[in-house]
Amino acid sequence: MTLQEQIRGNRLRSSIVVAGFALLLLLLAGLVTLVLDVSLGVAALVLAVLYGVFALAQSRSLVARMTGAREVAAGELQPLRRLLENVSIAAGLPVTPELRMVNDPAPNAFAAGLRPEKSYVGVTTGLLETMPKRELEAVLAHEVAHIRNRDTYLMTMAVVFAGVIALVADIGFRAIAYGGRSRRGGALLAVLAIVGFLLAPFAALLLRLSLSRRRELLADASAAEILNDPEAMALALQRLELDTTTVRYADASTAHLWVESPTERVGTDRGGMLEFESWFNTHPPTRTRIAALESAGGFRLSERLSADPPFASELLSR
Amino acid sequence: MLWLWILLGALVALSIVFVLGYNRLVRLRNEVDTGWANIDVQLERRADLIPNLVETVKAYAAHERGVFEEVTRARAALLRAAAPGAAAEANENVTAALGRLFAVAEAYPELRASENFLRLQEDLTDTEDKISAARRYYNATVMRFNTAIQSLPWVLVARPLGFHQRDFFSAQGDTEVPDVSFAAGAPS
Repeated sequence: MTLQEQIRGNRLRSSIVVAGFALLLLLLAGLVTLVLDVSLGVAALVLAVLYGVFALAQSRSLVARMTGAREVAAGELQPLRRLLENVSIAAGLPVTPELRMVNDPAPNAFAAGLRPEKSYVGVTTGLLETMPKRELEAVLAHEVAHIRNRDTYLMTMAVVFAGVIALVADIGFRAIAYGGRSRRGGALLAVLAIVGFLLAPFAALLLRLSLSRRRELLADASAAEILNDPEAMALALQRLELDTTTVRYADASTAHLWVESPTERVGTDRGGMLEFESWFNTHPPTRTRIAALESAGGFRLSERLSADPPFASELLSR
Repeated sequence: MLWLWILLGALVALSIVFVLGYNRLVRLRNEVDTGWANIDVQLERRADLIPNLVETVKAYAAHERGVFEEVTRARAALLRAAAPGAAAEANENVTAALGRLFAVAEAYPELRASENFLRLQEDLTDTEDKISAARRYYNATVMRFNTAIQSLPWVLVARPLGFHQRDFFSAQGDTEVPDVSFAAGAPS
């Protein structure tokens, strides 16, 4: 499969997953109005929409707080800023995203922001200390690709969607459990509704995670396209995989943002179990990601890492 | 009566296909224009840095007149060049002339230690990196656009509709193929 086909395929699948989200929410709203009061259904939806709008408006600063990303002063880290500028230009972004640093020894990076003009890229200090320039560029390209492909937007929406669905399901569940009198329809319908309310958040979570994994593969392919160097991306992923420090600030709610999953390790091959396990991961296994790049770029990655000095040494020498 | 409906349906379907395809071509062309604007900005920035650099070097090595003239000529040509091919050519010439200027600068230790000179040198390197980044994006958009208007059925109507092939940003003698092998035909 060529890179273009991968990009196209990923986009199509992402649209299907988003449609799945919308369908799930509609289904829930239908269940609420069917089994319970119409007014309660409407109230739950209004609350859900308000919650969603608030969450979207707050997402930018919320992410910064949760990841501990700080803004970088104007003259500071100029070489890194220039690298980010160059990658953004090569990606055709209208504006270079803001640069933010996360003080953490684990090498990782993330992108956030609803619109490309108001986005930022967060980089851990650990990334600068481990990555050579070529691989650091690939990681930055991966994050810039998330911004250009509107992944940050889509993923924020997905997180909010999942939250909203959980909220509506919870309201519906409680209303059935405690407000027996206002219930309509037979017992079968009620049971059906309870099962629906219980399963919906779970389905939303699985959808969200699957969407996240698709986006990671797409961003890998885009980064290779931006730099015209799929090998750099694969090398960077391999280096990240071999590094076992996990990000201190990361928790499950922001895991989807990072270039490499900050919380879990998918290293061992456990055959059939792995397939199931990977449903609950925000990122595809690194080996899958490297294999996709290898087949697109027509190269084989050697087992050992390149011995190039990390970018941090370049920063110090100035 | 039935065939009339079929005809009408076919006509509607055809015009939808046409509108979608036309809009795609317009979008691709706009991307090429944006890509070119990106290169233009960086070329201009490069040209803006040169007079300052020449003045700085002159202060230490006033008698190297030939090199200064060459750099100034190359810069003027770069500012005049409008078409992508010509601009790429002029840009190459600027690179060559600057290379000679920096080679001359090597012989003057005080110049090489000068803060101003070092900053200019760094800025110029940065601009060169940015030009090559912008060139990568621009050439990818040109590849996409040209492929689109060369494929059926658009190859038949592209010209009358005002879609013309665009040039890559690459110099004439450039043996290097425009670096678009990965970006070719990628969706926007």
